[in-house]
Amino acid sequence: MYSEIKNRFATSDVEVKRDDLAKVVVDRHRLFDLISMLGREYGYITLSAITCTDWIEDDHFVLSYMLVREDRKHNMMIQSMIGRDEPHIESLVGSFKQAQIMERDLHEMYGIDFVGNDNLVELSLENWIYTPPLRREFDTLEFVNNHLTFRDGRDDNMDVKKEMKRLRALKKAQKEAAKKAKEESSDVKQ
Amino acid sequence: MSNNRHITIFHGPQHPGITGNMSIELDLIGETIQRATTHVGYLHRGFEKLVERRTVIQAFTIVCRICVPEPDPNEINFAMAVEELAGLEVSDRATYIRTMVLELSRLAAQCLWLSGQSGSIGLYAVGQWAMADRDLILDLFEELTGGRVYHMYIYPGGVRRDLPEGFLDRVQKVLSHFKKRLKEYDDIFINNASFKARAKGVGVIDRDDCIKNGYVGQVVRGCGIEADVRRDRPYLIYDKLDFEIPTQDGGDVYARALVRRAEMDQSIYILEQLIADMPKGEIMTKIPTHRKFKLPKDDTWVSVESARGEFSYYMAGDGSEHIRRMQVRGPSLVHAFTLLEDMLVGAELSDVALIMNSLGICPPEIER
Repeated sequence: MYSEIKNRFATSDVEVKRDDLAKVVVDRHRLFDLISMLGREYGYITLSAITCTDWIEDDHFVLSYMLVREDRKHNMMIQSMIGRDEPHIESLVGSFKQAQIMERDLHEMYGIDFVGNDNLVELSLENWIYTPPLRREFDTLEFVNNHLTFRDGRDDNMDVKKEMKRLRALKKAQKEAAKKAKEESSDVKQ
Repeated sequence: MSNNRHITIFHGPQHPGITGNMSIELDLIGETIQRATTHVGYLHRGFEKLVERRTVIQAFTIVCRICVPEPDPNEINFAMAVEELAGLEVSDRATYIRTMVLELSRLAAQCLWLSGQSGSIGLYAVGQWAMADRDLILDLFEELTGGRVYHMYIYPGGVRRDLPEGFLDRVQKVLSHFKKRLKEYDDIFINNASFKARAKGVGVIDRDDCIKNGYVGQVVRGCGIEADVRRDRPYLIYDKLDFEIPTQDGGDVYARALVRRAEMDQSIYILEQLIADMPKGEIMTKIPTHRKFKLPKDDTWVSVESARGEFSYYMAGDGSEHIRRMQVRGPSLVHAFTLLEDMLVGAELSDVALIMNSLGICPPEIER
């Protein structure tokens, strides 16, 4: 199977990771041919997940399509790269019903347009108008500081750093006092 | 619409028949559902984003919070993925202990299901019993890990703490209690005429759709298909253990209940084997301190069988002490959208909670 994939899809990037997992990297334009060939000829009929990894330094996303063989004993990870600028790729909804929700999730989190999926509406984030949050340039802390307000907390709310410093000093003083008391008692015995 | 035949109601997010914070928008004519739309977004906590900004070991402390009813599959997936990427070996004893924790967790999660499923048709006494029995397992977890619900115990490289003295005896005692108790559950719930009347023929799933659409767990096994990651792609020591994969042919809520009930027996059987064969030895492999713990630029995909079905993690490292990407794929994403939205069409309003409970949907794991 692996040599056929290498020959037919002009890729040398085939890696057997475990007995039950292999990874193939293909050009995005051959991705769906490969997925359909694996389903038709080798029984990889279940789409288990679609994941995306943001390699901002290389200016691309890596999409991973996880397929499971019909006997459920083997997984195939098919990967393709797409550009980060206006990212788009064809939808798998026509072949796999569950791709609908998986693509909707990735659309919301990375802003990827899955061409052919007509239900890329909001999922978890209501009225979100900012950078899709799982893109690397989205800074959670900065977003929180700019958009949310912190509650004052309880009246007896303590500064953690100050309190830790106070406790350390207290512990040190107790240790020294115990040491001193021990020395004094040994002096009395002598 | 003008004659008031159609009404739209929201089932959840605050509703005893919803297994967590999500809602289903239901379009009804009378009591019959015409269209169902799942809505999530009530507890998006951004775990996958948080993990990317923490060190590997810091990330370990939050993954268990991804699923409240059953946190341990998150811990084991996280640990297995990190170990595979970092090339860490795990000792025999740690592997046995991990398997024991996962089976106890499965048993506790099935008690929680029993409670929800019985409550969804008004058999509240069963629910109270099941929650009390689950507490016996949580007591064991508290003794072993220090935490009742979130354990942070299955650490990359092994487990965080060895078994306390006499712990296995106490596990056996709880198992003996369960053996007696499960027969009582059969009498008051599984064989209860009102449960049978409500559950048989309801929420039926087509066997042909199961595998192709990515359904997992009791949904698939309730259609007569022996799908279980513990058998199909064994991890830990499941290839050395003797156990069966219970299946039923009905494809309905009752079939899924029978499968879950039989799985409780199997978990007890597995736990007894683990108690009998527990090896001695180290529980932790030596790992770098958390500031120096780095993952190479590589990725992997790991799966385990949770109490509700296949539970998987994708993890990618980038050579730094941070995880570049971690994606959680639990059973709920596909079950709550692809399956539930279709299955509810034509069902009665009173069956929504019953059907939803039978699918093992856990909203926190959808939103991650």
